[in-house]
Amino acid sequence: MSDKGGKGFTAVPKGKGKGGKSSLKEATPKGKDDGPAKSKKTRNVQFSSQAAASTKGKGGQADGGAKKDKEPLQLKLENELPKGAKCLMDCEAADILQGVQDHMVILSKDPSIKLPVSFDRALQYTEKSTNYTDPESVRQVLQNLKTYGVTDGEICVMANVYPETADEVFALLPSLKARRIMLDDPVNDVLSELAKLKKSA
Amino acid sequence: MFLKTELQWNVVIPAESLDAKGLMLQKAIIVRLLDDFAERKATKDLGYLLALTTVEKIGEGKVRQHTGDVLFPVTFSAISFKLFRGEILKGVVHKVLKQGVILRCGPIENVYLSSSKMPDYNYVPGENPIFLNAKSSKIEKGTTLRFIVIGAKWLEAEREFQALVGLHADYLGPVSGAPSASMYDLP
Repeated sequence: MSDKGGKGFTAVPKGKGKGGKSSLKEATPKGKDDGPAKSKKTRNVQFSSQAAASTKGKGGQADGGAKKDKEPLQLKLENELPKGAKCLMDCEAADILQGVQDHMVILSKDPSIKLPVSFDRALQYTEKSTNYTDPESVRQVLQNLKTYGVTDGEICVMANVYPETADEVFALLPSLKARRIMLDDPVNDVLSELAKLKKSA
Repeated sequence: MFLKTELQWNVVIPAESLDAKGLMLQKAIIVRLLDDFAERKATKDLGYLLALTTVEKIGEGKVRQHTGDVLFPVTFSAISFKLFRGEILKGVVHKVLKQGVILRCGPIENVYLSSSKMPDYNYVPGENPIFLNAKSSKIEKGTTLRFIVIGAKWLEAEREFQALVGLHADYLGPVSGAPSASMYDLP
């Protein structure tokens, strides 16, 4: 693994593979000192280079958020979805995760079966968001909007947001704003249907 | 957002488990798959792996030459959770700093909300620091906030995501735990 960035890494002591990334190693010409002093310098250089690399590289989104202001902050889910993935509304996910939880009560007697770490947190999250009485009906009601070009991702966000008014929907989903004239009536219809499906507080 | 995907993974069964009869072998494959699934924790494409829902198909096993283990291609459906740019989500504040707050959202622990993305909120230091706006709306530890996702970063080493979020739009900000007519404060 450390052979990847092999230039000048001869003396890097067990760099945990991180040595491979840093090309800044070449910038430290005092190359011949072996031992902790060098490894400290190396480590420092690697840290800053790794941070720099990660901001400039693939992970650039978080810090580059400010730079990305040129691109409006809109949900463009369909470009980012992995192949074959389908969006689920929080209420649908809640049903599924609760089902898994119920099964686990039976399966937990077998110690070899375990659930992912994130499962509990996700289940708690969905329990707070279960605001609808029947997820299937919610899905059906929102499916009507698909004929107007509303995407699956936008439908899911709409359901999760638990909107009260059409203004709220268009404010939170700016991708729909452009087509407000066309979508205003259908969205209002959908909202009145959803109101019937909301759980009473 | 929660995602449901169909995946195909290879499950390796050690030779010892292969003596068993048909059903036990299937159990061994599924248990091994659950194990691999739980260990994987998260991937860059799918987000945090939450649960296996159904096993669709277990393909024909292929013997690995040198070890004698058998590799089974398994097709299954799973649920995962991933943050997308532009998405609207809710999170709970678990740390308040001068520069902003850190929230938890579902399985994600590190959701950062910078003070620059909290328009009209000012930091109030103290033993229990908070952010306060002119309308006396408070953001403190335990507050549920509705935010928009500005970006998400995948950290390969830790196998987790970090997210950057904001409140800099209408209808975003503190919400009460239970849904009600006046759920939130408009910024």
